[in-house]
Amino acid sequence: MKKYSVINSPVHNIDGIAKVTGRATYAFDVKLPSMLYGKILRSPYPHAKILNIDTSKAERLNGVKAVVTGKDTLGIKQGIWRRFKELCDEEILSRSKVRYIGEPVAAVAAVDEDLAEEALDLIEVEYEPLAAVFDPVEAIKEGAPQLHENAERNINVTRHIEWGDVEEGFKEADYIREDWFRCSSQHHVCMETHNAVASYTPDRKLTVWTSTQSHYYIQVLLAWTLGLRENDIRVISRYTGGGFGSKFELDSAQFCASLLSMKLFRPVKIVLTREEEFIATKRRTPMFYYLRTGVKKDGTFLAKEGRVFTEGGAYTSMGATALYLTGFFQAFPYVWPNYRYDGYRVYTNTEPSSAMRGFGAPQATFAAETQIDLIANDLGIDPIEIRRKNAMYAGYEVPGQAWIQSCGLRECLDKVEEWIKSRGKLPLNRGIGIAAYGFMSGGIFNWFDTPYAFSSAMVKVNIDGKVDLYIGSQDMGQGSNTTMAMICAEELGIRLEDIRLHMGDTDICPVDLGAWGSRETLMQGNAVKMASAEAKQQILEFAAAKLAPNIVYDLDIKDRWAHLIARPERGISYYDVVIEAIRGRDGQPIIGRGHYTPHRKGMISPAYSFGVQAVEADIDPDTGKISLINCVTAHDCGQVINPLAVEGQLEGAIAMAAGYGFTEDLPMDEGKILNPNLVDYKVLRAREMPETKVIEVETYEPEGPFGAKEAGEGLTNPTAGALSNAIFHAAGVSIKNLPITPEKVLNALREKDDKKEQ
Amino acid sequence: MEKKLLRLTVNGEYHELYIKPKKLLVEVLRDELGLTGTKRACDTASCGACTVLLNRVAVKSCSILAMQTDGAEVITVEGLANGAKLSPLQRAFLDYGAYQCGFCTAGMLMTATGLLNENPTPTKEEIKEGIQGNICRCTGYNSIIRAIKAVAEGKYKEEE
Amino acid sequence: MSYKCPVCGKIWPDTMNLARHIFGTGDQAHKDWVNSKGLNFVELLLLQTMEPGNKGYKILAELLEKDAEKVE
Repeated sequence: MKKYSVINSPVHNIDGIAKVTGRATYAFDVKLPSMLYGKILRSPYPHAKILNIDTSKAERLNGVKAVVTGKDTLGIKQGIWRRFKELCDEEILSRSKVRYIGEPVAAVAAVDEDLAEEALDLIEVEYEPLAAVFDPVEAIKEGAPQLHENAERNINVTRHIEWGDVEEGFKEADYIREDWFRCSSQHHVCMETHNAVASYTPDRKLTVWTSTQSHYYIQVLLAWTLGLRENDIRVISRYTGGGFGSKFELDSAQFCASLLSMKLFRPVKIVLTREEEFIATKRRTPMFYYLRTGVKKDGTFLAKEGRVFTEGGAYTSMGATALYLTGFFQAFPYVWPNYRYDGYRVYTNTEPSSAMRGFGAPQATFAAETQIDLIANDLGIDPIEIRRKNAMYAGYEVPGQAWIQSCGLRECLDKVEEWIKSRGKLPLNRGIGIAAYGFMSGGIFNWFDTPYAFSSAMVKVNIDGKVDLYIGSQDMGQGSNTTMAMICAEELGIRLEDIRLHMGDTDICPVDLGAWGSRETLMQGNAVKMASAEAKQQILEFAAAKLAPNIVYDLDIKDRWAHLIARPERGISYYDVVIEAIRGRDGQPIIGRGHYTPHRKGMISPAYSFGVQAVEADIDPDTGKISLINCVTAHDCGQVINPLAVEGQLEGAIAMAAGYGFTEDLPMDEGKILNPNLVDYKVLRAREMPETKVIEVETYEPEGPFGAKEAGEGLTNPTAGALSNAIFHAAGVSIKNLPITPEKVLNALREKDDKKEQ
Repeated sequence: MEKKLLRLTVNGEYHELYIKPKKLLVEVLRDELGLTGTKRACDTASCGACTVLLNRVAVKSCSILAMQTDGAEVITVEGLANGAKLSPLQRAFLDYGAYQCGFCTAGMLMTATGLLNENPTPTKEEIKEGIQGNICRCTGYNSIIRAIKAVAEGKYKEEE
Repeated sequence: MSYKCPVCGKIWPDTMNLARHIFGTGDQAHKDWVNSKGLNFVELLLLQTMEPGNKGYKILAELLEKDAEKVE
């Protein structure tokens, strides 16, 4: 076992002091001289033509400086799937049509927020309401209202994944089960709502402070939609108050603030209210799932056929990715000899559904894991045993899709089994349910069509040994800043306090695609490691010259000591050799560059995390109320880099995923979200959290920096499934319709009792 | 609307401000005094991100008109540390990683400070109850509870 | 033996994969090609989900076996 000086030790988050003293400045906090405040007028109709917009009254209100509508834009249909023009279908400030309640129609800049709000009421929009459709199954019917010209029957995208021959597989099966599931939507509920301060200056440069997961994407999307040169735009995002998938697409605050500022040559700040955040950003993709599964009577998996319709909402957004990933992770983490998936994303007149932590995998895992427990129960096989029998393993190739290089799944199953046994006999109305999962560590597909490496980094070593680390990754709370600094310190052989980090600024930072799809640790981490190694190599040249060892000795730096690896006592202080190295290179600081782009790594990801989660829950048979008691997770993220962050990500993931399982929902009436506030939308609070335990299963992933893989998104996959299984084992009812509310539990219990009586 | 005089001590400093009577305390703290450590994350007084201490008691500053605090003492997150000497709770939060994106952290620290002011040795249940009004979307609360418990158990003394 | 997409020229190892590419790309050019051959792109897609047996893909694959350029 390698010993590491920096990684895998609990350290203070490097942004810690700023965050606990209130010094961290979020875009939410930015205030500039002559700054104006903006507000956005939004469509009250789910589907309507815009016939006319009269802004004259609003413009005349004292204190209002400008009003913009679609006429003031270049009319560009933008989207994040730039590689496929047909999927770039969203005009912010539409000129012709609105397709969901909340779609932006006009924006105002005024001297204060109250005036801007007042001005909105003075804008007169003439709409011609059109027939609307809200359900994907209704939307594909002949004669249903069509949202987009080129999307017949409202079919936005389809995805198909296939290997083997499922018909043959079903013929061989001793037992076949069919189940239908409904996976709900969910909202990110970032504590910092979407916002932007845009400042266009007379030198025709645009600076935008914003809360984002990818300053690079926002820079490119703004350039495209505003007709500016990419590098005449600076996007700054030093701190982001939560992302979870909601903040790497261009949003109405960023676009409207920029447009207004370009008109006025003054800074304009737009902050979405919590209600706007709920109704007019993006949300988790709701899915209608059909699974047909065939197994042998000893539980060996033979064939699975999945068909999914997703409620796409009004625009493509990142929905195409969720559609693919749900089909891919539906087969995870098991060996399926025969598999077929057909997914359809359907446009509906509702808030666009896009990316949210897990990206289609929580939905897939909920359906798959719930069905597996039902199959196990029907065949009289233990839930752990059936999973163990079919588990993926290191070296497995998902036919045509992925190579699994590191996989600690079996050990995860063992650890969770041990814990479950230790619980002994459970009291009445309590059950333990499990779910196994896997997840990607960054995606390989270049749907954004970037010409850059997926991640880059730069290291600069200064005369006093202090290192400037330039990264493009975005810390939105998951701790990537600290993780990258740790990787740099470990590779370069220095300490965390020797590093000065530069991130969150497109003027200064190299490109990284952003914090989504669990890509930062693996991709930015690899780039950082490469840059640090290159800098170290230059320093070691001088160390070698100084120490003049026999050629058989190689050198390294550990804990500020440059030395012969075989004879560590022979060395020179890092500080001393740095001075020599800089002097020897014409007084130039040492610079190391690194980058990472996955090449030939399959269809999805270079590496996959794995795990098994057990949820212990109580049901109150009289009220149907669920209480979470314990949640134990055995997780394989390869080599742990930042243990405090992994634990934090696990506990946070449980809160979010449990919310998905039983408390969070976005009920709609004719496309109108009924609970757009934090009173009626129920996220988990402190009292609802179970006791949590994380069991680290260590493997070594050759694709990742020091063997590391993702931790944070995969952990969101299992909880809904583990919870539905816990309820199944507690009360004998299987609920396949999220969220699992007390009403659904009571109804299921009643149905079960009625059946018993018959 | 005529502005009124507000006399307020914030983090030990006395201020006299002319403000519109309908201004909320959180708006005065953030916009008039530039103390942006205190955040806002909802419009329904549900999330706790705006929590400050008003005369040593934790309150949601979005649910109080600034004029109601005339003559009072307010402590915000900026007032917890003394130069480089962080408060015991701040140090515990650092050690336990009791924050991630940091947006709820100011409110969480102020609620915890108010809780320990009232009840210096709360049980785990009492801590959970105490922070029930503060939403955190990142941490899942357990690290925050561990940090507060550690302070309650005396593991962090005030620095000299 | 590989198959060349009649619309964009991409090469695929078999007709099922080529069919998947055509359905998956789904842009106007690919849709128009399928529709010009007497089939209905959208109907085929929906057939895939309405009836068992991979029908939609099989029908397109059969057409491609006849109409797509084969490459060594």
